[in-house]
Amino acid sequence: MQFEKQVEIHVPREKVWKFIWDIDRFIACVPGCKDAKTVEEGKRYTATMVEKVGPFKVEFPTTIEVLERAELSHIKAQASGADNKIGSRMKIDLDVNLREQDNTTVVSFVAGVDILGKLAALGHGIIKRKADQVLDEFAQAVKTTLEGDN
Amino acid sequence: MLKRFRLEEPESVADVSELLGRFGDSAKIYAGGTELLLAMKEGLVHYERLINVKNIKGLGEVAGDNGTIRIGALCTHHELENSPLLQQKLPSFVKLEQNVANVRVRQAGSIGGNICFAEPHADPGTLFIALDAVMVAEKSSSKREISASDFFVDAFETSLATDELLTEIRIPTPGANRRSAYLKFGYLERPSVGVAVALTFDSAGVNDVKIAVGCAGPAPRRVTEAEALLNGKSKDEAVSLLAQAGAVAGRASEAISDLHGAQDYKEHIVGVLLKRAFNSIVS
Amino acid sequence: MSKQMTRHADTQSISVSFTLNGRSQEIEVEPHELLLDVVRDRLGLTGAKRSCDVQVCGACTLLVDGRPVSACTTLAFEVRGRSVMTIEGLAEDGKLHPLQNAFIEHGGFQCGFCTPGMLLASKALLDENPDPSEAELKHFMHGNLCRCTGYKKIIESIMAAAKEMRNR
Repeated sequence: MQFEKQVEIHVPREKVWKFIWDIDRFIACVPGCKDAKTVEEGKRYTATMVEKVGPFKVEFPTTIEVLERAELSHIKAQASGADNKIGSRMKIDLDVNLREQDNTTVVSFVAGVDILGKLAALGHGIIKRKADQVLDEFAQAVKTTLEGDN
Repeated sequence: MLKRFRLEEPESVADVSELLGRFGDSAKIYAGGTELLLAMKEGLVHYERLINVKNIKGLGEVAGDNGTIRIGALCTHHELENSPLLQQKLPSFVKLEQNVANVRVRQAGSIGGNICFAEPHADPGTLFIALDAVMVAEKSSSKREISASDFFVDAFETSLATDELLTEIRIPTPGANRRSAYLKFGYLERPSVGVAVALTFDSAGVNDVKIAVGCAGPAPRRVTEAEALLNGKSKDEAVSLLAQAGAVAGRASEAISDLHGAQDYKEHIVGVLLKRAFNSIVS
Repeated sequence: MSKQMTRHADTQSISVSFTLNGRSQEIEVEPHELLLDVVRDRLGLTGAKRSCDVQVCGACTLLVDGRPVSACTTLAFEVRGRSVMTIEGLAEDGKLHPLQNAFIEHGGFQCGFCTPGMLLASKALLDENPDPSEAELKHFMHGNLCRCTGYKKIIESIMAAAKEMRNR
């Protein structure tokens, strides 16, 4: 599943960039994500992702690896985790690009989301919808948090 | 194989509500089990406790009075398809029930469980919306009514509170010229698309049109925009507007591309079924 | 609040008295035990098959109070006070049921895997509707799947049995 999102944040790019690497604040913007830990600054993080569709709950202990990083402009990262209780795995390939115009930072990201295992029984459409909702909420939360800082 | 769980067997709504309040997410109401046990066997959910509600008296009847048909939440599909009252007053619902899954599912599955599990490909919710049904939700100290169109929030999600039990479904008894139809289409075990239409048809044309679509998207939805197109029209005018109403309803279905069909395919089928359902009512 | 329960340390046991193929049966089950496992593994009646395990195929069909249920998705405690028939109980006093005879005579058995379910479901049908049309038969039986050969011989067998039973 491929998702493309774009969010315009009315703060300068340096501030957005700094925020992204403030792992606790950043993770707080990911719906259902908690317990963020830095394993290796700028390279490797862990967190727990909890998502829910009606009565169906998954909890993915997740490892986030930063694969590429170009100062102020680009991040490529991969998040992956498994819920052994439910027997499901997830992988998110994230490609984030930042550009600035007129004091506004345009953050665009492409997320490739793969959900494997029993969770797939819920149906591709339901999972896709959920992932889309999570990404929208995330983008909105980042915007709200950063703009609220001003 | 199922994992171990404890069974609670309360005999009153108040006791159910108390158990739900006490055990929260670790307990689940169990009636027919046709959806719940499948999800549990698959390992998608586990509960420490199931609360068997089948010993509660008075939730398994169909009755009619003062212009309302009352369907107890514990009625099985089999009981509903064989209810003389429903056969007389709501033939569209009886036909729907006759075609739910298969004979074994209809034997075990309850209408309340079907509604509360809110599986996106279930039939009854869609027709309930078109029939102006009201869901009665009860807990220890209170009772409230939720219209069918407000009941279905999302896939597998309803507007019931965690300590509430659905006890009854109330449907206004249709008047002499009030008619309804539910049509579905699919090629897998569960339907890809379901469309329900209810309307009053007499010398004044078609009025009080209700249209709902289900199965295609995350939850059954009422389509007021399509209703408005047909409302107050003569039969012929309405028929000429069906393609337009169908397109509106297709978009409103929030159709999802999945194994049951692509989004545009499902939207198209919504239109086809709407047309057929409408024509079956007014012909 | 609870009834018929005795509690051990961490397991819950439910006493289930029921009629199995015409004889009374007592058994203790845990809440999570499925009827199919109890009948096959604990009571040794292996006629009912586990196949799809999701109430679609009908290979695990049993009759509870004369009505077909999927034993794969029925909790065993649910048969408290009820009458259960498995395929082993269809023949009476060593004499085959007319449906069984018809399945033999008209080639309805085929590979045999779906047959116990086919026989019990069709018994339930003929008990409530002794003279079904082919459309009624198909509607009632559409949840019993054959995956080896097809339905023609099965339908012929059931129709022949219905006729035989009406003429008795």
